[in-house]
Amino acid sequence: MSNTAPQLRSRLPRIAEVAVQRARLTVVPRPRTRPRAPRVPFVTLVSVILLAGVIGLLMFNTSMQQASFRATALERQAADLTAQEEALRMELQELRDPQRVAAQAQARGMVPPTGAACVLTVGTGEISGTCAPALAGVKLPLDPPGPKRPAALDPPTVEVRADARVKVRDHGAPDRDRQR
Amino acid sequence: MTGPSRPRPARSRLRASPQLRLRIGFLLIAMVLSVFAARLVQLQGVDPEKYADMAAAEGSVTVLLPATRGEILDRNGEPLAESIDGRMIVADPALTAEDAPELATFLAKRLQIDYFQVLERLRVEGSRFQYVARQVPAHLAADVVADAEAKGFVGLFTQRDPVRVYPFGDVAANLIGFLGTPRKNGSARALAGLEDSFDQYLAGVDGEARYEVGAGNQIPLGDNTETPAVDGSDLHLTIDADLQFYTQQVLQQTVEGSRAESGIAVIMDSRTGEILALADYPSYDASDPQEWPKSRYKSSALTDVYEPGSTEKVLTLSAVIDAGLGGPRQQYVVPPVLNRQDRPIHDHWVHGVEHLTLAGILAKSSNIGTVLAADEFSPGQLRSYLTAFGFGEETGIGLGGESKGLLPDGAAWTDQVDDRIAFGQSLSINAVQMAAAVNTIANDGVRIDPSLIDGSATLDDGTEVGTEQADRRRVLSTEAARQTGLMMERVLDPEDGVAPQAAVPGYRIAGKTGTAQRVAESCGCYDGSHTASFIGFGPTDDARFTVYVVVHDSRTGGGGAVAGPAFAKLMSYALRRYGVPPTGTRPSRLPVEW
Repeated sequence: MSNTAPQLRSRLPRIAEVAVQRARLTVVPRPRTRPRAPRVPFVTLVSVILLAGVIGLLMFNTSMQQASFRATALERQAADLTAQEEALRMELQELRDPQRVAAQAQARGMVPPTGAACVLTVGTGEISGTCAPALAGVKLPLDPPGPKRPAALDPPTVEVRADARVKVRDHGAPDRDRQR
Repeated sequence: MTGPSRPRPARSRLRASPQLRLRIGFLLIAMVLSVFAARLVQLQGVDPEKYADMAAAEGSVTVLLPATRGEILDRNGEPLAESIDGRMIVADPALTAEDAPELATFLAKRLQIDYFQVLERLRVEGSRFQYVARQVPAHLAADVVADAEAKGFVGLFTQRDPVRVYPFGDVAANLIGFLGTPRKNGSARALAGLEDSFDQYLAGVDGEARYEVGAGNQIPLGDNTETPAVDGSDLHLTIDADLQFYTQQVLQQTVEGSRAESGIAVIMDSRTGEILALADYPSYDASDPQEWPKSRYKSSALTDVYEPGSTEKVLTLSAVIDAGLGGPRQQYVVPPVLNRQDRPIHDHWVHGVEHLTLAGILAKSSNIGTVLAADEFSPGQLRSYLTAFGFGEETGIGLGGESKGLLPDGAAWTDQVDDRIAFGQSLSINAVQMAAAVNTIANDGVRIDPSLIDGSATLDDGTEVGTEQADRRRVLSTEAARQTGLMMERVLDPEDGVAPQAAVPGYRIAGKTGTAQRVAESCGCYDGSHTASFIGFGPTDDARFTVYVVVHDSRTGGGGAVAGPAFAKLMSYALRRYGVPPTGTRPSRLPVEW
């Protein structure tokens, strides 16, 4: 065993040398073509984008919420104003009530026209019919009769005659007081 | 590798072997996972809808979008009935009981409601919901509740409670009707008149909105669905509110002045059949109906029927002319009494043998003369004329509860009945039927269905009514209508006629009085009271308005004296209001005697 070794060894060197030569691995030298990009700016960029996105979304959401608050507030305001407008319109209607207008007119001494009528045609200025002033003292009853009082508040009228005979009427006069 | 010599720590003996620990761990995890799985099956398999709904309901609200009830407008667009946003003010007695007297004082003052009633409600024990006031205008309710909160009162809140207002009070209340207190869900409860008969048309359909809320505000990107409300339609009437008011006042004056029981007045546009005013007295105030008896929540002009009396002679005599059985100058010998089958017929004035023309019979309102003229009709002819004039059928103008009256038929139409119908007895009609019938003469012989609705609207029973549905039909020839008009003009003649009080200075007016015996409801017999009426149109030769005034149980006179002046006022007012110039033609000079 020991005598064959030198032989082998003598033969080996040539093969081995090649093999060894092949087998000896070396680190491939890093190609120094470009310098490696620094990592920090990229991470920063991504973070910034992420952050901006999150903040933007948050702000967008907040602004939408704000708009929603505002919408609710404006809706409430619109409802209030509508109610106010309705109230004013109702007041106007009450002022235009023909009964009120007629009462005001009569209070100022105006009378409903009776008697002869004449018609003035505005375009031509022509008058047809015979004109006559309205008659003074013509009046309309302006208050409709009020509701009747309940029987308890409206006892039958009792007429007492000289001969002390008592006559009872079955009902009283209609109540004219509307403000009661 | 550790040697066996190294002692095992006491702690690891307690921990058992790793396999055992692993198994116990897995078992625990498996048990937890099975619970999750079971829950998952329960959620997804057993009743997924319920949980989905619960999830949706959490944080989402459903809001009723109330449909606005249509307005009722007069012909000029003045609202006679309108809806405004209202609130009910509700108290939670559990919170209000403490400061009840102060709060009640505050509410009674601000809302003009009864102090004691409010006080009682603020103190109801065991209740969390008590009405304080209903149908308060929205702005007022909001103000009051805000002020109450500012003063430190708690326990008041508001809910929707729509308000119907009748700004003109009693003007046309007989036609419009009213709404009662709304139902619990806020929908209207129509109780009378047009509000009732056109309830669905006016009401509209409520909508609904559902959306998610957070802190009282809508979440912008949350789920939301909305079904918009369909508002009710407006009801346009042919009524002229100012004319209606004037008519009501004149009617009131007339009825009170003659110490009568009740009255009706109708003003109709002769050319279109539109009813411009329809007044009933006594009536009620639609904005405060509870104060009046329920029996007044109607229009007597449609619901009550009566015998028209002499006004009906106009129709009989116009039919005589149209049928070619006589003309205005036809001569009749009118005896003092006409003995007929069952009883003698008299005139309203005592006379000897009179020589009257047909015009004279009408101008003097002779029953005997009318019967003689009507004798020429073939059997059934008068009835067919009266049917054509619209008697015995409903006018169908859109108000509920109309009575169509009675026009005898078949065997009921005996010779005696025929005589009496000729001068307006033994048949019953309502006031609108009568106005429409005489309007036929005003409108050159063409009858137009009367209408109260301008355009067209749908009744709750699905019928369309209104001016667009008004039918026209020829009843009389133009010439017969014209001649009847000329005869009617003689009624207002100061010398030859019976009703000079009905004349309108400057205008040619045709008319006819009526003083009918009234049938008492209690006995079904004539009770001695009278219905005074006057019907007419003007100007005679170009009629614009037909006016009818009826006064039941007048104590101061007949048709000419009681209803005549009222007719004159209404006609004069209508002619002025619509700027109708006098025609300027020569008045009728038909002879009344021969």
